[in-house]
Amino acid sequence: MSKVFFSTWRGESINNIDKADDAWEESAYNLPEQYNEHSSSKAFIGWDGVALFDSEVDVVRLATEYAAQYQVYSEACGRCAPGRWGGRILYDLMDKIARGEGTMQDMDHLKEVSRTMQSTSKCEIGKTVPTPLLDLMEHFEADFVRCIDEQKPSKHYAESVSYIAKVTAPCTDACPAHVDIPGYIEGVRDLRFDDSLTATRQTMPLAHTCGRVCPHPCEDACRRTNLDEPISIMALKRLGADYETDHGFGFFHPAEKKPDTGKKVAIVGSGPAGLTAAYYLALDGIHCDVYEALPVLGGEVAVGVPEYRMPIDKYNQDIEAVRDLGVNFIVNTPVTAEMMRQFETDYDATMVAAGTRLSKKVRCGNERPEVQGYWGAIDFLDRVNLYEKYDIKIPKEVQEENLLTTDFVDLTGKTVVCVGGGFTSMDVVRCSIRAGAEKVYMIYRRDEKTIIRNTTYEEYHEAVEEGVEFLFHSAVEEMVDENDVLKTLKINKFELVPDPNGGRAQLVKIEGADYNIDADYLIPAVSQSADFALLPEEWELEMTSWGTLLTNGKDYMTSRPGVFAAGDCEYGPMTIVNAVGQAKRAASVMSRYVQNGGKITLTDDEIMEDHLRRMKVYDKKEKIVGWLPGLPREESEVLDVDVRKFNNMEVNLGFTQEQALGEADRCMRCYYIAMVAY
Amino acid sequence: MINFKINGHSVTAERGETIINVARREDIYIPTMCYLEKTTPCASCRLCSVEVEGMDGFVLACNTPPTEGINIITDSDVLETERTNIMRMYDVNHPLECGVCDKSGECDLQNKTLEFNVGVQQFAAKDQPRKIENWGLINYDPSLCILCEKCTHVCNEVIGDDALDLLFGGYNSKVIPKNSDVLDCTFCGECIAVCPVGALISSDFQYSANSWELSKVPATCAHCSAGCALEYEVKHAGIDSNGTESIYRVKNNFEYATLCGAGRFGFDYDNKATKDEAAFVKAVEAVSKAKAIRFSSLITNEEAMILKALKEKLGLKLFNRDARHMQLFMDAYASVSGTKHYSADLESLKASDAIIVIGSRIATDNPGVRYAMTTAARHNGAKVVYMHPLEDALLQNTVTQFVKYEVGTEEGVLALLAQTLIVDQELTQREQAFIDTLDEGYLSAETNVGDDELELMKKQFLRSKSKTLVIGSDILAHERVENIARLVALIEKYGDFKVLVVPTEVNTLGVSLIADLDIDDYSENVVGYNAKGNFVISALEGADLDVAAFNQQEGTVVSIDKRLLPTNVALGFEGYTLNDIANALGVFAENTIDYTSNLPEKSGFKAVGFDDLGNFYSAKGVDERGYVLEGVKVHRGGHPEEVAELPEFNGAVIYHANPVLQFNAFTATTEQLENDNNLYGSASFAAAARLSDGDAVSFVYAGETVRRIFKLDNTLKGTVALHPTFDLGLNVRSDYRFETVNFKRESK
Repeated sequence: MSKVFFSTWRGESINNIDKADDAWEESAYNLPEQYNEHSSSKAFIGWDGVALFDSEVDVVRLATEYAAQYQVYSEACGRCAPGRWGGRILYDLMDKIARGEGTMQDMDHLKEVSRTMQSTSKCEIGKTVPTPLLDLMEHFEADFVRCIDEQKPSKHYAESVSYIAKVTAPCTDACPAHVDIPGYIEGVRDLRFDDSLTATRQTMPLAHTCGRVCPHPCEDACRRTNLDEPISIMALKRLGADYETDHGFGFFHPAEKKPDTGKKVAIVGSGPAGLTAAYYLALDGIHCDVYEALPVLGGEVAVGVPEYRMPIDKYNQDIEAVRDLGVNFIVNTPVTAEMMRQFETDYDATMVAAGTRLSKKVRCGNERPEVQGYWGAIDFLDRVNLYEKYDIKIPKEVQEENLLTTDFVDLTGKTVVCVGGGFTSMDVVRCSIRAGAEKVYMIYRRDEKTIIRNTTYEEYHEAVEEGVEFLFHSAVEEMVDENDVLKTLKINKFELVPDPNGGRAQLVKIEGADYNIDADYLIPAVSQSADFALLPEEWELEMTSWGTLLTNGKDYMTSRPGVFAAGDCEYGPMTIVNAVGQAKRAASVMSRYVQNGGKITLTDDEIMEDHLRRMKVYDKKEKIVGWLPGLPREESEVLDVDVRKFNNMEVNLGFTQEQALGEADRCMRCYYIAMVAY
Repeated sequence: MINFKINGHSVTAERGETIINVARREDIYIPTMCYLEKTTPCASCRLCSVEVEGMDGFVLACNTPPTEGINIITDSDVLETERTNIMRMYDVNHPLECGVCDKSGECDLQNKTLEFNVGVQQFAAKDQPRKIENWGLINYDPSLCILCEKCTHVCNEVIGDDALDLLFGGYNSKVIPKNSDVLDCTFCGECIAVCPVGALISSDFQYSANSWELSKVPATCAHCSAGCALEYEVKHAGIDSNGTESIYRVKNNFEYATLCGAGRFGFDYDNKATKDEAAFVKAVEAVSKAKAIRFSSLITNEEAMILKALKEKLGLKLFNRDARHMQLFMDAYASVSGTKHYSADLESLKASDAIIVIGSRIATDNPGVRYAMTTAARHNGAKVVYMHPLEDALLQNTVTQFVKYEVGTEEGVLALLAQTLIVDQELTQREQAFIDTLDEGYLSAETNVGDDELELMKKQFLRSKSKTLVIGSDILAHERVENIARLVALIEKYGDFKVLVVPTEVNTLGVSLIADLDIDDYSENVVGYNAKGNFVISALEGADLDVAAFNQQEGTVVSIDKRLLPTNVALGFEGYTLNDIANALGVFAENTIDYTSNLPEKSGFKAVGFDDLGNFYSAKGVDERGYVLEGVKVHRGGHPEEVAELPEFNGAVIYHANPVLQFNAFTATTEQLENDNNLYGSASFAAAARLSDGDAVSFVYAGETVRRIFKLDNTLKGTVALHPTFDLGLNVRSDYRFETVNFKRESK
């Protein structure tokens, strides 16, 4: 995939030295040949080897710089004896050789120290830094020996070359918000919960929230999986946040707020993306006005995610942490196109983080919104949550539209059918149970395995326990109403027919297997789309083919300069952590944009972050050495179904301290350092 | 239970035990430089790397729980090589100043360097100039520091100050004060204790002696009721017997026990007076004619026995308000609980996951209890509810809920607690009736403790499995102490709580279990024994007869753990003892410690002689000091009475509470402990008392005029000021600690 001169990356052994151009072997990996649009890379060196893109690379200096990055420039923590002293010795000896003062004994000492670091260091960074150095010393021994023999500096010792390094970890890389996961777990392990929280908040302000309702893609990239089971990463995030809240501290921010820059940004929407953008912009000394259409702050996490999954008092703590930095929130204010135009004059930049709040149709016959009993998932959840969390009652006319006689959602005696398969539909069916529905069905086109993959095992299992009936391989064919009141749903049944040609299996309708369900409500929760009425038409903002705002996915600026977009309205309905990750990056770009006269730039750290994400840091085939396998993952206690079924008590009680510490101790601190020379 | 092998020997591990726990229990050696039993593993030294048979690579013994069936190898050539390399790295550029380093002779780096036979420095790294920091009582030399992290761990996890941090930066890493330029802490000095090298050192001790010149005297700390174990390190200076002997420093078994700064730095309170025969004659006469002896609880059990014997012999009265309050509390408690002793101790407190503290400014009243609570909070995630009229900033990172109640309303608060904490229990009819007839509205209004606060408390405790109620000395000296004690016993009995009672003095509990005390009527013709009197026998300056201070005596005390603890003579005293007076008056015993074996068995004491008492922690951390008092069953028959009308404290109220590290007239005389005797109050107190920062005020306390400078303290809230009593000599009265006073402004 990558054209390399030499590579030992991930155990490959490619050496194109002295080979004719057409005989060159390519690396099997997606290595960062091109550093950025202006510069191609000379070399890439990291935890699992080294790759040279240029035959002229001074390998002795490259090795020295990598050791230096570890020792001097990087955030090498110095928290274990082999790493602390070993790292220093590596660098000093490498540099001694590179500047032409080394001895052969230094080479032996380098190897000796490397071995001790590899076998005894506390974290992977200390264990892996020697790896590419040993590779270079082995494959380019002559270059090292020449420096020693001739007592001369290496060939480009004094030349100016850019060396850009970044510390990462498989979990951090896989997390859309790139949270310093080993850092916050270390804080738990060391019982330094304030440090744990600040580690999280470096890139993720919603610690309470993402300690509860994150689908944790990081856990799929946890190296511990290669040994036994992944760390319960998400649940450990709560501890820092709970420590701050339980002891009534102020807010532990990851850095001191910078002095006021005099710049102003408008943010549309106070959901996870809006909050995140505001948080990091405010930290940079930029004033933020956050406009929220609803009377309450927090977006879908507030009005979508139910109380039993995400207690509002905890989410409010996350929101208060943002407010604490001086962010100004303006509620009950839907942004209009006219306001957007005005924002361009009043603010230095605008961020659209309005989410996707239109429930898509299920595409069945007679699907008319005016039929009573047909109730979009977003509005349904709004009504439930606004009442349960904020005591906001349902207005009379809305009650009537939805066949209610109370000022809250009471489904006593009713049959509810939800069509979906994602988190939103799970929230709908479980809220329906809590609202007293007699019968709750979930209709899903595919099977049990897929619904679990699209949500979580816990979510599905808990819904079943609470009495939701899942109808798999089913779809609504038609709504049957009487005088615009929903009566019955015609359901088609499908089966999965394997493609004889080995392609993807097809869902095929089973003839004669149709059946009816008498239903009071049909709640479509198949997907949501964005409402872009707020965008001035004359701006002609570019859209994706799936109807979201188009950006390049790196700087999050739309086709209109100064207008940025992040979260679901950019990506489509996705996770909280995805919105946070996008908004964090967007905030960083916006901060420079408003301060540097409208220039769009990425930092070296961000460029490296994107390179590594593309390469993927996690290697599921890697064999783990130095850790005892067979230590089981801790599971947190869950409220008994009879206790939780008819109320909003938080279902997942979180870890006990003992569990949390045991789980934190399983973390292998898989920090790595990668470096590009260009 | 996990079965596995270490070096082929079959061993088992309990849940939560790591490989090193099991190895040490089984006497199998694994070297460490950073391991500290009482904290979570620092995992920085990597020396405890071990092999697992059949597996590539090493695993760390300190933080790895074993799995079923593995065989751990603790020693092999490869391990030896890597461990030796680690020691070589530790020694890179370590200053060769062992000749003057205070740690030399007891330095882990020295020991391990020798053990691994590292004779020369093979690896080189650039040296760096590093500045020695002076943090008051503590000096820090980063060039000696090996970054083991024991100090930061202990400061955060056991002490609770969380005042030390690591400045990360690879080779340049160092220990720094957390969020501050200077070390801002309670100066417990535990960081010095745990430091394996000479990086953290007592500034007072530095360069004054070599460790091998000092003799160690195991003793019990005299300053508060925790009864912490310590070792006085004593040296005879000078070349002949005319030279003086003095305490150079205090150390503690930091692996298992913890000491506060008063114990560590406040050791020089010994009485240097010489023998005065004339004074002795007068003292004997005074006692023989006295109507009563008033004494403090800063005495040994044996002295209490002598006083008791004198009472019987001479028919005089014994006054000790502090111990008498304790007796009242414990007797009333026992009448409901049926046991003479309360159920908790510091170990069980450490293991708790729910704690209520009421009636004490506990962090400064008894640092030992504070450390146990810190341990519980950090390690068990304990929910800690602190109930008091004054919030305490020192406890912020331990306490999860502060419940403020009105001064004087402790009885009402306990009644509300009983009502909240006792649910679904089968009470006797009378007990149930008591609970049912409580006037919640009245109690809530007068105590100012809201229903929502009690609900939050209940919610916090929902998942807890081990709860402790800590009762402080505000309660012991309360007018309604007996009924409060009955309520406490009721909560213990039905609320699934253990109870820990924390009195003021080192031997309040012991004295209360021994002496037959009378009501102090403040009459004349009283001999004071380390207490106010018409004739004063004391170890403090200005006594009519000088006697030995606590660190100059042997004898025993009873700590809050209900443990009889021996203490020994650190420094000799040439004068007279209470036993000499008793002998002169016909109460015979050759030595004071002859009384040890006669301590009353009905109170739980055992017939064990002083010389048969242990005074150490075993190598595995078992507390082998003295013995734990036997449980004693007593007759039940007490019942909580109706809650009396709750008092109101209006006007300028002060709370008698000492600053960090100060406890009494003895700590007040020590050299190193800070002597801050100002009156501290919040802005609202200042407004109510019409005082401003820096005002000199006077008021009457215990019959005498006290002069103080008032200081505004922004960390305080409410209208109660903190008033120290440690510097008032013998004029400290063990009454209810809140008091309404009339301030007189003095000219500045």
